[in-house]
Amino acid sequence: MWSDAQLGTLLERARDGDREALRELVRALDPVLWRVARGQGLATEDAADVVQTSWLELMRRLHEIRTPRAVTAWLITTTRREAWHRQQRSRRDLPDGGTAVQTVPDPDPPPDERLMADERDRVLWRHFEHLSQRCRDLLRIVAQVDRPDYTVIAEAFGMPHGSIGPTRSRCLAKLRAALTADPAWATS
Amino acid sequence: MTDPLDDLDRDILRRIGRYDPPPADLDERVLFALALTDLEDEVARLAEEVAPAARAGEQARTITFDAASRTVMITVLERPDGLVRLDGWLAPGAALSVELRLPSPAPPRTVTADETGRFVLDEVPHGLAQLVIHGTPRVVTPSLLL
Repeated sequence: MWSDAQLGTLLERARDGDREALRELVRALDPVLWRVARGQGLATEDAADVVQTSWLELMRRLHEIRTPRAVTAWLITTTRREAWHRQQRSRRDLPDGGTAVQTVPDPDPPPDERLMADERDRVLWRHFEHLSQRCRDLLRIVAQVDRPDYTVIAEAFGMPHGSIGPTRSRCLAKLRAALTADPAWATS
Repeated sequence: MTDPLDDLDRDILRRIGRYDPPPADLDERVLFALALTDLEDEVARLAEEVAPAARAGEQARTITFDAASRTVMITVLERPDGLVRLDGWLAPGAALSVELRLPSPAPPRTVTADETGRFVLDEVPHGLAQLVIHGTPRVVTPSLLL
């Protein structure tokens, strides 16, 4: 993942119309925005759409954004707000008996066990569900991006920047302890 | 500040990351939608998508986009030849130019809505597309997967 300084350079280049810089910015931030939208409980198509809408809105505001931290924070806040509105709307649409594609999804649904070919994955997700919401959010985002930028993640989940590293270690240690104590993990 | 990860940590994270990654084409969809957009554009949000209803053997779905200045509604009809037909409606109605952007090298398709805001785009291929309504302000939708 990119450092703040690198994101800043990309942002400046994107603002000057450099499409390659914009491409890099999208690649760097999409995984985080995706988790923010999914973490709000949106179905996959809705989440993909909300991420797009946030980028489209960003294009209109690009000239107002001064610093790279601001671009990340801005996108994350926008994604969260758009996701919330989308949720409200799909709830509102349900009672009229229409055939709306979106039903109200579970918040942050666990993966479907039937899709897991690997027994260890099943064991892992059973224990994963017992972690706190904060641990689940954090581990899912850390798992998605290489060398995650803690500033971006702190922004995404409203955690203090300095707590990300320790929280990640604590959450991972907790999951490890549960797994290594589970005979099903050891034997599969 | 970061504890080094050992093999088990890495295995755990790899297993978590395998589920629910972003769609493989998410970046592509975002970049396609952004390719044209600029400061002056108004963004239309997906307001509602109604599932395909088998209607006398036809597959049709209706998608509504809301922008501050205008609502765009399209019905996507599957044609027997594997292409689709879009029946669209702008509200408030106006005889505006409606452009359907397709991924390059396909040229965009442009039609003009009638006074009531109705327009038809026929023989459109499946895949990514974006609607651009050339009013004041110009209205753009997110990428659509037809």
